[in-house]
Amino acid sequence: MPRFQFIRDQLAAAIQRGERTGPLDLRNLNRIIRHTPEDMTVTVEAGVTLAELQRQIARFEQWLPLDPPVAEAATIADLVLNDLSGPRRFGFGTVRDHLLGISVICANGELIRAGGQVVKNVAGYDLCKLFVGSHGTLGVLVEATFKLQPVPEIERFVQLRCASLDLAGKLMTAVLESNLTPTAFDLVRDQDKSLRVVLGFAGVREDVESQMTEAERLGFLEASTLDHDQSFRCGDSPVHHTSVLPARLIDTVRNLGDLPFVARAGNGILYSRAEQSGNSTPLPAVLALMRRVKDTLDPTHVFPELRL
Amino acid sequence: MSQAAALPVVTPQLVAALSKVVGLDAIITNAEELLVYECDAYTLDKNLPNVVVLPRSTEEVAAIVKLCAEHAVPFIPRGAGTSLSGAALAVGGGVMIALTRMNRILSIDYENRRALVEAGCVNAWITNAVKAKGLIYAPDPSSQPACTIGGNVATNSGGPHTLKYGVTTNHVLGLEMVLPNGEVIWLGTTPDGGEAVAGYDLRGVVIGSEGMLGVVTRVLVKLIRAPEAYKTMLGVFESVEAASQTVSDIISAGIIPAALEMMDQLITQAVEAAYHFGFPLDAGAVLIIELDGLAPGLERQAARVEEICRANAAREVRLARTDEERAALWKCRKRAFGAIGRLSPNFLTEDGVVPRSRLPEVMEFIRATSRKFDLRIPNVFHAGDGNIHPLILYDERDPDQLRRAVEAGHAILEKCIELGGSVTGEHGIGVEKIDFMTKQFNAATLDTMRQVRAAFDPSGRCNPHKMFPGSKRCADFTSKKQIAA
Repeated sequence: MPRFQFIRDQLAAAIQRGERTGPLDLRNLNRIIRHTPEDMTVTVEAGVTLAELQRQIARFEQWLPLDPPVAEAATIADLVLNDLSGPRRFGFGTVRDHLLGISVICANGELIRAGGQVVKNVAGYDLCKLFVGSHGTLGVLVEATFKLQPVPEIERFVQLRCASLDLAGKLMTAVLESNLTPTAFDLVRDQDKSLRVVLGFAGVREDVESQMTEAERLGFLEASTLDHDQSFRCGDSPVHHTSVLPARLIDTVRNLGDLPFVARAGNGILYSRAEQSGNSTPLPAVLALMRRVKDTLDPTHVFPELRL
Repeated sequence: MSQAAALPVVTPQLVAALSKVVGLDAIITNAEELLVYECDAYTLDKNLPNVVVLPRSTEEVAAIVKLCAEHAVPFIPRGAGTSLSGAALAVGGGVMIALTRMNRILSIDYENRRALVEAGCVNAWITNAVKAKGLIYAPDPSSQPACTIGGNVATNSGGPHTLKYGVTTNHVLGLEMVLPNGEVIWLGTTPDGGEAVAGYDLRGVVIGSEGMLGVVTRVLVKLIRAPEAYKTMLGVFESVEAASQTVSDIISAGIIPAALEMMDQLITQAVEAAYHFGFPLDAGAVLIIELDGLAPGLERQAARVEEICRANAAREVRLARTDEERAALWKCRKRAFGAIGRLSPNFLTEDGVVPRSRLPEVMEFIRATSRKFDLRIPNVFHAGDGNIHPLILYDERDPDQLRRAVEAGHAILEKCIELGGSVTGEHGIGVEKIDFMTKQFNAATLDTMRQVRAAFDPSGRCNPHKMFPGSKRCADFTSKKQIAA
């Protein structure tokens, strides 16, 4: 398949030099291979940007419900290999929930096709999961197939400013105990140190309207947006993320002092510029297993090292 | 002639050591009692394990697996044995580890919407335990009153409501497993940890691995809010084609029902005879269409669905008016396989997937296959997912019927691949569909799967002779046994 020959050439050259491959230029892999609107699936080459994919499928009132803040620049390879997500992850999940199939060039130059084109499939091991978030350590992603969703009829955002973290915590509990089913549920501290809880609702008009009324009863009166995610996470200095039990989010945020942050309140994911302890690193036995997976799939370590 | 494979040597010493671990009341060695474990719900292949152990804790499982490693003996994890592809079959004998006594719900974290359960916990028990608080565990395979979460993890089980809610892998946050070397590890989200975990998603790899990478002992599942309201409809159609087209049209209209199930005429008649729901006996097909979610928006969506049904010449669209009616309808659907006994002494349950828009085509092919092999093939399936379940009826007393049934099944699965689908949507490869792996995947992909297995189980003793082409079959072992006898 000459389409991927340039990848194989670069792999072979790297192996010959005894080096690791750097980031490969996938700009030529820029086609949407197959969008079947009636099946709500799309197969796309890895160099297509998420924004371009969303534009193409939007014409059929469909979308891939993944909204990382860098959509314009992020390619499908970035999305899958770095497991990118955005504020709607509370309602729609992450890459692993939408990915149906992948094509990957492996260390030996062979093309593997894991998963498939259909929305339900348990033939063989679920290799797709292995590559999501693998940061390119196991192979070069060249194609991906996703399951799509209908674009929600309407989407609305509301917010409520909170005077303290304690109050924010109480509000978050109230949201979780209410009948609300937000698709976005963020806790934000802006540059001016003010705190707010942001909710998003998406779906058919009647549902969203009734949710807005219920949110109003909890005090969410101010219209909002999700712009905070883009502006905070795409700033100049690096952003660290931490994942905690949602119930422990407020205590974790307390450690930040007055520093600004964006948190997925419903998921327990915190983005900040402070050096966090990070996600818990795997225990030695798990780490050893991950290294065995890496060593078996990439014996000469032609791809980047697994970093934790 | 291929040489008979060597049988694992389960020595009296190993049996003694195993009994010491689990106690005499948790080990089975006599042939009569072992019979229960000779197969799962796929009954075309059968073989006895040498011994069955029924551990009560992770520590016991680890000790059993370590003993198997020391004696170089294969071991086979088993849940309730409801799997449909022979995934829990002891192909060449070995030590079967039945997890059914590890069936507790260990903790429920309502605040963070999670439950920690043992692998042998029955699927339906979780929802039963949390529904009073308005929560559910979403995956609902038809066998949910019996099947275990460990088995669900092994096969990445689905069910009617996976159309909207996803399958097991979308609802399992983390799991504890005993590796084939006896090490106990936790993969994925820990019970008190955050959902994002550093490194590879090995939990995701274990889910659907058919018990070949280790023995899953504990599972952390996600609980979700029970839907506020339902609209459950029964659409009655003149033909399978019209019903199939309706499925495609509903999805194309941007409506994602919670469930979208089809029953053709043969199955509807059998279900009606068994459960007396009031299904029409002369309709070509019926669709069970369930919308769920918030109450305010359901009305308009239900109206739209009804409109789509009528546009496809639905004879009737019935709405379940009460919870009891809804429950009765689902009971019929989930027990449909049980009604087949009225039609035929034996049946083969097939499981294939096609892109949803190809449903009319594959249903036409199934009808042609039925004629070609002169066998009746009723259909009851997850139409919204494109996941078909043709039930091929035969009588095992006639060997030619059995042969034709198997051939017809293969023809249908090959058609699924040809249409861009899969040979299994939820039942797994097991021993049944090994030969299809090379048809669905290229050699490099199969090699990568084997490499993953090698990373978990270098000696290949965990549930061997499954999934991969070139695996030994029961028959490869029996010849040796006969010689030995």
